[in-house]
Amino acid sequence: MSDTPSEAPVKSILPEWVRGPQDFIGGLAMVAVALFALWASSDLQGMHGFSFGAGTAPRMFAVLLLLLGAAVALMGVLKDGPNIAAYSWRGPLFVSAAIVFFAVGIRPFGLVVSAFAAFLIAALGSHETKWIEAIIVGACLTLGCALLFPYVLGLPMPMFPRFLIQ
Amino acid sequence: MELFANLAHGFAVAFSPINLLMCLIGALVGTLVGVLPGIGTIATVAMLLPITFGLPPVGALIMLAGIYYGAQYGGSTTSILVNIPGEATSVVTALDGHQMAKQGRAGPALAIAAIGSFFAGCVATVLIAVLGAPLTKLALAFGPAEYFSLMVLGLIFAVVLAKGSVLKAVAMIVFGLLLSMVGSDIETGASRMAFNIPELADGLGFATVAMGVFGFAEIIRNLDHGAEMDRNLVQQKITGLMPTRKDLVDSTPAILRGTVLGSILGILPGGGAVIASFAAYTLEKKLAKDPSRFGRGAIEGVASPESANNAAAQTSFIPLLTLGIPPNAVMALMVGAMTIHGIVPGPQVMQKQPDLVWGMIASMWIGNLMLIIINLPLVGIWVRLLRVPYRLMFPSIVVFCAIGIYSVNNAPVDVVLAGAFGLVGYWLIKHDFEPAPLLLGMVLGPLMEENLRRALLISRGDWSVFLSRPLSAVLLAIAAGLLVLAVLPALRAKRDEVFVESEG
Amino acid sequence: MMSIRSLAGACLSAFAALSAFAAPASAQNYPTRTITMIVPFAAGGPTDVISRIVTAHMAQTLGQSIVIENVVGAGGTTATTRAARAANDGYTLITGHMGTHAASVPLYPKLAYHPEKDFEPVALLAGTPILILARKDFPPKDLKEFVAYVKANAEKVNAAHAGIGSVSHASCELLNSILDVKPVGVPFNGTGPAMNALVAGQVDYMCDQIVNAVPQINAGTIKAYAVATPERNPSLPNVPTTTEAGLPAFQAQAWNAVFAPKGTSPAIIATLNAAAIKALDDENVRKRLLELGSVIPAPANRTPEALATLVKNEIAKWTPVLKPAS
Repeated sequence: MSDTPSEAPVKSILPEWVRGPQDFIGGLAMVAVALFALWASSDLQGMHGFSFGAGTAPRMFAVLLLLLGAAVALMGVLKDGPNIAAYSWRGPLFVSAAIVFFAVGIRPFGLVVSAFAAFLIAALGSHETKWIEAIIVGACLTLGCALLFPYVLGLPMPMFPRFLIQ
Repeated sequence: MELFANLAHGFAVAFSPINLLMCLIGALVGTLVGVLPGIGTIATVAMLLPITFGLPPVGALIMLAGIYYGAQYGGSTTSILVNIPGEATSVVTALDGHQMAKQGRAGPALAIAAIGSFFAGCVATVLIAVLGAPLTKLALAFGPAEYFSLMVLGLIFAVVLAKGSVLKAVAMIVFGLLLSMVGSDIETGASRMAFNIPELADGLGFATVAMGVFGFAEIIRNLDHGAEMDRNLVQQKITGLMPTRKDLVDSTPAILRGTVLGSILGILPGGGAVIASFAAYTLEKKLAKDPSRFGRGAIEGVASPESANNAAAQTSFIPLLTLGIPPNAVMALMVGAMTIHGIVPGPQVMQKQPDLVWGMIASMWIGNLMLIIINLPLVGIWVRLLRVPYRLMFPSIVVFCAIGIYSVNNAPVDVVLAGAFGLVGYWLIKHDFEPAPLLLGMVLGPLMEENLRRALLISRGDWSVFLSRPLSAVLLAIAAGLLVLAVLPALRAKRDEVFVESEG
Repeated sequence: MMSIRSLAGACLSAFAALSAFAAPASAQNYPTRTITMIVPFAAGGPTDVISRIVTAHMAQTLGQSIVIENVVGAGGTTATTRAARAANDGYTLITGHMGTHAASVPLYPKLAYHPEKDFEPVALLAGTPILILARKDFPPKDLKEFVAYVKANAEKVNAAHAGIGSVSHASCELLNSILDVKPVGVPFNGTGPAMNALVAGQVDYMCDQIVNAVPQINAGTIKAYAVATPERNPSLPNVPTTTEAGLPAFQAQAWNAVFAPKGTSPAIIATLNAAAIKALDDENVRKRLLELGSVIPAPANRTPEALATLVKNEIAKWTPVLKPAS
């Protein structure tokens, strides 16, 4: 998981004194998450008497994360570390789009349509995709899923678009 | 000997053609459920409950039990092949299993997972038969204070899990703990950080987050330009399918330790099997002569957690069969299956339903035998799957994962959340944060908070309960000891580092 | 008018069950496809098992299968919200219960539905009586002693419950409000862990549905003080009722009932009600329900109107008890 991509890292836009940008940004992001959690749990009741309130544990963990995030960021200042790795946009974009399409489509359009479309949208995420092949494999996979999930495993799922059934 | 008479009776029940068939169906469906990412045993057993309406109760329960432990066999498959855990219990299997696959050793990894599971399953079955009743006491001895201390120990385990920076691993655990706080507060019912999203009312699902940070993140990362070469490497150099003699020698002690650990943790209510697999992995890493091998394809890192999770899956039947109290959600469904047939399990279920109890115990051994016979030949097929070009493989995995997550609660929001966690996971990879400690934090978080609060409610705010209860004190002492062991080398290393830097 | 219609519905459905081809002429040929029954709790729990037993028979009567969809979360309110928003064509129904259709009103101030305004009552299925349970070595020997003991030691005793919004939580709050005590409530995740703590003696007492408790009581791992119904339960003939034992004010039953989204046509409601009544009169269904310790409603209480009254009364009953708790 931790092997860094072999592509050359992007040039750092951070000031000179940041010696490990990867850790620096990583730590700051954790601090941001912690601050967000503190804000989100600020309306919850704290300790009352000997019993914990709803907000005690979340705030405790948020403060802990805040400190740890700050420590990680500090490491990024004190120690030389790897630069920020390059992100690509194509994979994340199309894989996310496929997932979102599936989520939005499963209720109104059913398994068959949304699974097939999600397959093709995800396939857009790679420049290696060959379309004829992808369509054939996608169709077979959809057919397989349409038999496997509702019939073999008995999971209740809409199969076809709602407007076709009614 | 009453035990042998009981077992003989059990085997007579389990060997009836209908029960053998049920056992086989259970094992097959379980393997399938385990292999498919996202689809969990809870959802499947719940879906198959109505089918058992028309079956004799013994056969029905044999089948449902088969699905449960069968899933432990299948769960490792996708962990190893594509770094996507099929079940929560095989998250740690992915750490070394997938590295083995990258080195062309997917075959031995899958085979050792099956062999370890088989051994653990056999031992745990004997344990249920012989020691079921006395072990029940353990389940009852564990009150909130003991649970909390066990969870603290679990957190220390998680620190040891770290491959790289301990600081970052701890940050990930705390991130996991924080994520686990989302949902309803157990004591007041107040909604916490759920932003009025009804699907978040009961918190983030473990499967949702695991699928995101492991599954989707892995796919997105593999689509990066630089990663292409890596993938081709996986596909080309596939060496032997079966473990070598050295692999077996290396794995044997790991399997034994995993079995013992899993058997004990499985009895405890709650996330027994998940914690068992994490704990077994940590133990191996701590005991290894060269801990740096872990996370880079150490076969013990596959053998031990896979043995532990299967052992735990079997022994989690003990509280059900001896107390009539289900220790986890799948067992609660088993109670449901019995209830549908008019058998409400209680402390006397062993005396009142000998056919059911002993038939089920005997069937577990038969089921494990069937599973290894099913799974070893499958290794060849799975490994061949790796030759499918990644451009076709990854959209298929996306679709399977999406359907799997949707099926857990029939909630589209869960799928979107998993996608979002995929992006989070991609970001984490880019910043060299590990997802495994995050997931462990998520599992332990609620157990820890709830039991801490329960313990303090019962003791009226007196923190000394954690030390005055002997079992709890022992667990905390072990935790403290482990922490010292984990921190000492890190401190020493830091001193050396400072030394080196000041020299230069 | 309604009773004639439901009688007609019953006749028609009986006819449909006899001859597979016959489609009921009225109720717009309903049902023509699979019906989804949402169960707001996990499979295998009391509500789920009761739903499954009754719907299996209803499906035979209606000539269409009924699929149970378990949607868990937030004390059953997630599922109930979904059912409230479902199409009111009679193909999505819900098994509501005491929690989702009464106790939820005071418990969840931001509840996205109202049990009376967003649902059409269909039929009351079966209820499970509530028991007052305690660990086996809890000092009081009977309910009178229990009441005295809890009042005297209100600071010391611990009451377990299965989570906010659960039947055991609501009924325990009712009991505590009748006794006018506020013991420390120890929350658990579901009845299994709560029962485990009671058997292990980590907590003192709790209120729970009869289904889970009978085998434990019979084995002597816990004890029962009373059953909160007007009559003794056949599965626990030795346990007195709260009336007999001197606490008549404590009456509680986890009732389960079928609801349809608001606006579902009266003809469909009548068809479903008739099918449910037919199921409740079936020998086999009754046997299975009684094995669970369930209470089958008397014929007078099985109409949609009776259910509407029940919901109204139950909301009135739980609101003062649970309001201060939340």
